[in-house]
Amino acid sequence: MGESGVTVDSSKVILSIKNLVKTYPNGVQALKGVSFDVREGEFLVIIGLSGSGKSTLLRCLNRLHDPTSGSILFDHGKEDIAQVKGAGVRRIRQQIGMIFQHFNLVPRFSVLKNVLLGRLAYTPIWKSLLGWFSEADRKKAIEHLSLVGIAEKAHLRADNLSGGQQQRVAIARVLSQNPKIILADEPVASLDPATCHTVMEYLKKVNEELKITIVCNLHFLSLVRQYATRVIALKEGEIIYEGSPQDIDEQWFARIYGEGAKEVHVN
Amino acid sequence: MVIDQYRFRRLLFDSLNFAFVVMVALILFQAPEEEQILRDMKFYALLWGGLMVIGALISELFLKFRIVTLGELTFSPPSRKHLRSQHNLFYTFWGWQFIISLILTLWIGCLITKADLWELLDERGIRGAIHLFYALFDPNWQILPQAIVNVIVTIFMAFIATAFAIPVAFILSFFCAKNIMKHPVAFVIYLTLRTLFNFIRSIEALIWAIIFSVWVGIGPFAGMMALMIHSIASLAKQYSEMVESVGEGPIEGVQSTGASFLQTIWFAIVPQVILPYISFTVYRWDTNVRMATIIGFVGGGGIGTMLIKYQGQAMWNEVGTIVIVIAVVVWAMDQASALIRDALK
Repeated sequence: MGESGVTVDSSKVILSIKNLVKTYPNGVQALKGVSFDVREGEFLVIIGLSGSGKSTLLRCLNRLHDPTSGSILFDHGKEDIAQVKGAGVRRIRQQIGMIFQHFNLVPRFSVLKNVLLGRLAYTPIWKSLLGWFSEADRKKAIEHLSLVGIAEKAHLRADNLSGGQQQRVAIARVLSQNPKIILADEPVASLDPATCHTVMEYLKKVNEELKITIVCNLHFLSLVRQYATRVIALKEGEIIYEGSPQDIDEQWFARIYGEGAKEVHVN
Repeated sequence: MVIDQYRFRRLLFDSLNFAFVVMVALILFQAPEEEQILRDMKFYALLWGGLMVIGALISELFLKFRIVTLGELTFSPPSRKHLRSQHNLFYTFWGWQFIISLILTLWIGCLITKADLWELLDERGIRGAIHLFYALFDPNWQILPQAIVNVIVTIFMAFIATAFAIPVAFILSFFCAKNIMKHPVAFVIYLTLRTLFNFIRSIEALIWAIIFSVWVGIGPFAGMMALMIHSIASLAKQYSEMVESVGEGPIEGVQSTGASFLQTIWFAIVPQVILPYISFTVYRWDTNVRMATIIGFVGGGGIGTMLIKYQGQAMWNEVGTIVIVIAVVVWAMDQASALIRDALK
């Protein structure tokens, strides 16, 4: 199985997930004991059908969902994300940012204000409620907007932007959190193919230039081959593949997506 | 036999309907005097109970023979929707059940309200009404300054009641929103507040005004308190429904940055609900002005109290002046609030 034989330098492991189980109150078992490591600086892509547990897995990693059992060791095992509570959860979310399929911006706010939301965890509550973000935060926010190429839209309302632009704002927001890891849940699934690559290129840039680890759920295998440094495939809540994107041949493809599935390319 | 919610609702509906129809038919046929009904109340109550049991049995029996009753038509579970036939109304049992119930209700309703066309066309009565109308349309402008002062009191009663209700309702609305109050303890608070507000709203502002006029004495303060209590309950309900309908996306987005509970509400929920909030609030002020007038009738102060005073002395020219002042103010408030709400869309 892929690289399973290769020993990994444990100091390079940023997240270590062990036996993660998530059962929803309605009895659906979305994750059935998932274990894997996320290594510092990698672009890890998780693939699988809808309903395979990808989204649940990502949401457990920053505790938007609470895992049922198992552990998620972070920061060289100093902290178990699965166990933290209250303020601890918020500290974890601050360090593990997220971008979403539907961008999840606040539609009525300006682009700049949306990016500043990334600073909420760093700003005292009373200051943030009054909208007093520091001058340094504002400057940094503009820088991050420049990085994703939409600084000139800073004062437009977020819902006036196209889907691709909104996702770039979401990237700028997550960057202003100064995260160690970015989780990306189907970041291009609601974008057209052309925009899709723009957004993926920015994620790649963030990964390579800012050295931020990325864990990303993706649908299209062609994108996976192009951007992933490593791949995990989920099927019915279990890991069935772990390895290099280039090693996913037709047989693996059929196992992951089911017989009769056909690969679609995004150009 | 399982009593699920569909069966319960159908049985309740059909048995109430059956008991009602038979009872009304009996009363129409016997035409008992009111004293007779009062004396035999026990008998009628027992009869009603018995009829309900029979009605429930009939409903069950009909379902067995796949005859759709009105209760079944209204409350059938999704799995049995196919039983509803596409027949003409007059070829169905429920159709006739509906028609007979409606006719009987209208018939007894007219008897109970003593609706009488002859009374309406009575010559002496009409003359009295014409005399009153003449007086109303010949207002006594001498009391206009007094009416204006009083209507200003009424407008401010409504304004202060709304203004004080806003912050309270705003804060409480988040505690009455199901999507925020998920934690078990929070859910208990949610249920308690919901019940309390439903209770407060189910008591008319008029009754609150009576309570407060005893509590703080007759006058504008009693009226203001009554309106405020009622406004808090109404606004909190409307606000919380808005909170419940906000998009989950921005909430997740803001939460994922590590924002605290308060920050999440302030940055993810408030921007989504602020416009409807303002819209509801303006409408509430408008409603409160109209309610403040009525509340004046029972000692809530302002223009209503003035009106009831002149009405009691049958001084119709003065009442005419007051009615015109009220109409102008209510019309102006209505227009203004409609314009503001339209602009907020």
